[in-house]
Amino acid sequence: MPVPRQYHSEALTLRKFSLGEADLIVTFYTRDNGKLRAVAKGARKNSSRLVGHLEPLTQVSLSLAHGKNLDVVTQAQVMSNFPPLKDNLESITKGLYLAELVDGFGSEDQPNPALYNLALDTLHAIAKDPDSDLPLRYFEFRLLTVSGLTPELYHCVECRRDVEPGAHRFSPNVGGVICLECNPEEARIRPLSIRALKVLRFFHRGSPAQARQLRMDAALAQELKTLLASAVSFWLEKEIRSNSLIEHLQRPPQTSV
Amino acid sequence: MTTDSIPSASPTLTKLIGELNKLPGVGPKSAQRLAYYLIRLPEADAYALADAITAVKQSVVFCQECQNLTDSSPCSICADSQRSRDLICVVEDPLDVLALERTRCFKGLYHVLHGALSPLNGVGPDQLKIKELLSRMADGQVKELVIATNPTLEGEATAMYIRRNLDRGELKITHLARGLPVGGSLEYADELTLSRAFQGRQEL
Repeated sequence: MPVPRQYHSEALTLRKFSLGEADLIVTFYTRDNGKLRAVAKGARKNSSRLVGHLEPLTQVSLSLAHGKNLDVVTQAQVMSNFPPLKDNLESITKGLYLAELVDGFGSEDQPNPALYNLALDTLHAIAKDPDSDLPLRYFEFRLLTVSGLTPELYHCVECRRDVEPGAHRFSPNVGGVICLECNPEEARIRPLSIRALKVLRFFHRGSPAQARQLRMDAALAQELKTLLASAVSFWLEKEIRSNSLIEHLQRPPQTSV
Repeated sequence: MTTDSIPSASPTLTKLIGELNKLPGVGPKSAQRLAYYLIRLPEADAYALADAITAVKQSVVFCQECQNLTDSSPCSICADSQRSRDLICVVEDPLDVLALERTRCFKGLYHVLHGALSPLNGVGPDQLKIKELLSRMADGQVKELVIATNPTLEGEATAMYIRRNLDRGELKITHLARGLPVGGSLEYADELTLSRAFQGRQEL
């Protein structure tokens, strides 16, 4: 049976690039087909029916046509802008960080509805509480889980013995906690406090709503941020570019004029 | 296919094709067509193009005031004594200045950022002319700053960043109205555009 020329999909818009005079190449993460790059013809013109519907961090309903190289967006309708996500600079930068990670971990033609739902759920949580870093920390951990890369949190990844409280370290490239006796070759080992381990285990077992109610001090928040960022960038095999703007905004303000 | 792999009797022509291929939106085939067009061009026209490229690289500079591209600094707009000096319009690109000048309804000065915040592409505040804007505003002479960045996610984020860094009581910060384009259609407008069009509705 021939493949139909037109198809529909529900997607999250991740990023867009200009193409030629008035076209766009848009990267989506679709619920049914995984990552998808498609051309939106004429979408940069003010008179285009697509204008406004293809902004990054928008959940859209799409109609597409199979193309020779890239598929073509024929219709787009906004389903959610995650209000008030786009009214706040912190939530926009955090949303773009999420988009970079979904772009990096998502694969074309490999649907992962769990990743799609996690991204939507996290964008709603960021919009609700733009100043909290917890939605992003939970997202980073669950991103590893839904990608089949859950870190080992209960047994030493080398000797498989249960880790004893306080006697553990973490290695993103070996894949989880390591006891004090083991020193695998080429393991990039980081210290891991008992409090951070407990939070990671809570992320592993708890629901999103429970995890986002956690309260933590600045030292613990920083430890988790460094640890999860190192795990995520190890699997991505590159630096996460959008992180620099989040850090820039979190620095103490310079003297204003 | 790269132009390096094209067998050619003329390395000079291959080099020209290679250089044209570096231009945005010009693929290898288009680069070949352009190169053969340039060869057939009358000598005077071809040299005029080469001279224009040389001149633009030698004489175009950033205006010390507004950071627009100009032959002499300050540029003709900043040097115009008829223009209001307490009103500055912030735009993303030099082409936006041309678009706004065509309207003939803005009589203040400009500030060109040369882009918008785009963390996914590694463009942060330090890559834009934001520091220059902040130091331009330091003497407190400007009464109103009109932010005319594009109504995209990156443009909005840039506007928010500037507002945050210039938040002082006596300065009025505005941005261009958001809403429906002339010739547009309500049916196809997105919900954000429609809600902002409602917020900015005007009495008839």
